[in-house]
Amino acid sequence: MIDPLLLFDVILGLAIVSLAVTVLVVRDRFAMIVLVIVFGLMSALAWVRLAAPDVALAEAAIGTGLTGALLLATWRQVRTEPERWPALPRGVMVINMGLCALVLAGLVGAFLATPLGTPGLGVAVADNLADSGVEHPVTAVLLNFRAYDTLMEVVVLLVAVIAVWMIDRGVSQAPQPTLGPELGDLPRGFARLVLPAITVIGAYLLWVGTSAPGGAFQGGAVLAAVGILLLLTQRYQPQPSHRPLARGVFVLGVAGFAAVALLVAGGGRVPFEYPADHAKTLILLIEGLVTLSIAATLAALFHGREPEAISTQGGRS
Amino acid sequence: MIEMPAIDWLTAVVFAPLAGAILAFLLPRQAHWVGVGAVVLTALMASALVLQVLTEGAVVTPLGNWGAPLGIDLRADGLSATLMAMTTGVGLLVSLGALNSYAHHRAPERMRRYFWPLWLLLLSGLNGVYLSTDLFNLYVMLEVISLAAVGLTVLSGRIEAVRAGLEYMYASILGALLFLLGVGFVYLELGRLDFAGLLAAPPSPALGAALALMVAGLALKTALFPLHVWLPQAHANATAPASALLSALVVKASLYIVLRLAQYLLPLSEVLVALIGLLGVGAILWGSIQALRAERLKLLVAWSTVAQIGLVFVAFARAGADGVAESWKAAALLMLAHAIAKAAMFLAAGRIKEEIGHDRIRELDRSPVRPTLAQLSFALAAISLVGLPPSLGFAGKWILMEGAMTSGYWHWIAVTMIATMLSVAYFSRVLTGFLRFDRQRTTVGEHQGWALADAAPLTLALCALGLGLLAAPILAFMNIGYPFGGAP
Amino acid sequence: MSTGLIFGLTGLGVFVVGLCGALVLVDPLRRVLALKLCSVGAGFMLVVAAWKAPPEAPDPVPHALVITGIVVMISATAVALALIRRLHTLEHEHHD
Repeated sequence: MIDPLLLFDVILGLAIVSLAVTVLVVRDRFAMIVLVIVFGLMSALAWVRLAAPDVALAEAAIGTGLTGALLLATWRQVRTEPERWPALPRGVMVINMGLCALVLAGLVGAFLATPLGTPGLGVAVADNLADSGVEHPVTAVLLNFRAYDTLMEVVVLLVAVIAVWMIDRGVSQAPQPTLGPELGDLPRGFARLVLPAITVIGAYLLWVGTSAPGGAFQGGAVLAAVGILLLLTQRYQPQPSHRPLARGVFVLGVAGFAAVALLVAGGGRVPFEYPADHAKTLILLIEGLVTLSIAATLAALFHGREPEAISTQGGRS
Repeated sequence: MIEMPAIDWLTAVVFAPLAGAILAFLLPRQAHWVGVGAVVLTALMASALVLQVLTEGAVVTPLGNWGAPLGIDLRADGLSATLMAMTTGVGLLVSLGALNSYAHHRAPERMRRYFWPLWLLLLSGLNGVYLSTDLFNLYVMLEVISLAAVGLTVLSGRIEAVRAGLEYMYASILGALLFLLGVGFVYLELGRLDFAGLLAAPPSPALGAALALMVAGLALKTALFPLHVWLPQAHANATAPASALLSALVVKASLYIVLRLAQYLLPLSEVLVALIGLLGVGAILWGSIQALRAERLKLLVAWSTVAQIGLVFVAFARAGADGVAESWKAAALLMLAHAIAKAAMFLAAGRIKEEIGHDRIRELDRSPVRPTLAQLSFALAAISLVGLPPSLGFAGKWILMEGAMTSGYWHWIAVTMIATMLSVAYFSRVLTGFLRFDRQRTTVGEHQGWALADAAPLTLALCALGLGLLAAPILAFMNIGYPFGGAP
Repeated sequence: MSTGLIFGLTGLGVFVVGLCGALVLVDPLRRVLALKLCSVGAGFMLVVAAWKAPPEAPDPVPHALVITGIVVMISATAVALALIRRLHTLEHEHHD
């Protein structure tokens, strides 16, 4: 007798793999992006089944939602270009595919030979959770036990936004990623209704992260969605004069996080060792700064180029 | 350690460039001064850390005081301190060179504004790799490096650079993701990701798969043949200081991780080590042939990187699986030699191009424009890369062959000889050009033969040449803290 | 057979599909998606490594790692997309 939930898992797994294949072979590039969004949501569902709600939330918000928005914005700009289909020699294709089949066989063999459920660090996390300053284990790992990783991850975001500002130079004829007049006032009205609600949700996710699934990244992603809606509805138009402020917000997360990490050191404490009494306050402070930075950075990554003196579309507000 | 030092140098060398990057990004007009200042500061901190390792042995900082495997430890031993010193030292001289290259009248303001934050973030990532003792942390650091390095590659904004940068980006991300899947397999098997955990682990299928994935990913990022296809165009089309950083420093980070993994995942299988050596041979042959055919100076230098990375892998494999416990030193010494000499060479090539307006090898000549000092630096760097005494390159090759000889792997000696001859062949294409008078086609304005900007490549080239005399102390220093003590 | 096993295999399948795409495809946008698939595949492996047969609670450490990985991946994607847009613009200017 097969457990019906296991049957569900099998079907979900097969659906995910076939979606992955379809994403790469479907002819239409718009369909490809829509399918990858569906693929991301399915993966998030699988991660819920694997008892990883935080990961599912992050994948749905960042890995799928925002990544999808980025992909669509780029697609809008390059869609005039005909797609280049594989021009590789047939022999090379066959060799590559054969190689991938071998890799798959090897990896599956190694995976099947490994028993699942190694003890891992879960016990150590549980033992030290009381000293971490937060009650939710994933947040404790992200903001305390492995805070250095998380700081560096915010650094990766900073590198990305600097690199994108450098690479993507505004070209006047490039189409703007806006909803445009063809969609009329409907999205604007929608935005007016929805924006405050999303902002509240983002702030709530940040707050709840200390004790339940959620946290800086998910909260930041939701707030970034607010930013993207503002950009799309042209409620906010980046101006060259806003650059210093934008730079400040981009670095806020890294700078604040690093400052806290270093300032707590001394008097026998090492960097990142928060004093026990203030651990929760410091973690919330870091999370707040990081959330702001993440939201601004992700929205800027969506917008792409650095606001420069080149005139954008006529102002409507 | 009984009491913590007043300043923790391990965190300092990662955080100082980070702080510099933030300031340079916030103050774009002052970026160059902030940048040089931060690199100087980092170099001073790195020297302090080297001194500390020299006097106290390996140094460990358990971040957050949790201790591995729950937390992340930073650790500096001889090998990491050597590579970190190499990175900050070479980085400092390249920064001084960059100060000139991106000076007001030469480059668009945009380049100056973005070079410094990206380079400082790269420096932070590189130091982070050398001090890390955690596999997932290495993955994050590798991504910091990738994104910053891609940014530096496309700094000029020219179409060739952007095209090469995109290829580099794909290779770099794929390499990192292969590494990440390997990390997943390690956690699946061991339930921890610190180096100490690897050390204690018995061989298993999952660890085998993890090692294969991680080494494949790192080989892609370090451009080991046949995964090198992205490198030549990326390094040849970047601006000179960026090329110097990419070629001298960025590829070393992934090479270093290979050496580290080999230290912890002993014993390696004989087949794997032989395969690595064989790919090294392929890299030497193919890289040299392409360097012989290259028409542009920077492309030749870039292809020679492929060949010399191959030699590092040959050094790693020189004495078989059992010899790896000693062979990593030969590999590390060759990495050091290559970093210093190649930085000198790219800066010199950039200077030559700047002065004579082109870098076509066919048309290189001696007069009337002769960036003499730049040509001299190029020649000295070539001497080290070819491996003539007393250069650091010579010391590296000597140790390679010595180890191969004592363990009876004569074929690696033959390979090293061939690599040397090929490098003589491709570098002499350039050096003969420097000595010719008869190729002159156009008259260009008078040039005095030297400039302050030649100081950086010349210093680097002299270091590459002279440090060979210090090979023995460097080797002794690299040995500090090896092998890694038992699991805590 | 267990949930962990099924999704472990799913993850490996997705990773190798992405790998294959990264090696074979030519279109810039599609290659970005191939890499995205690889990152999800690697994420699956870590989440599976954290998984314990219920009712035991999963290991939070790999969960934190995957969240970090997701943020890192969107950063890399954004840079790759910026390069694609820039290249498109430059090629456009080239043809005119």
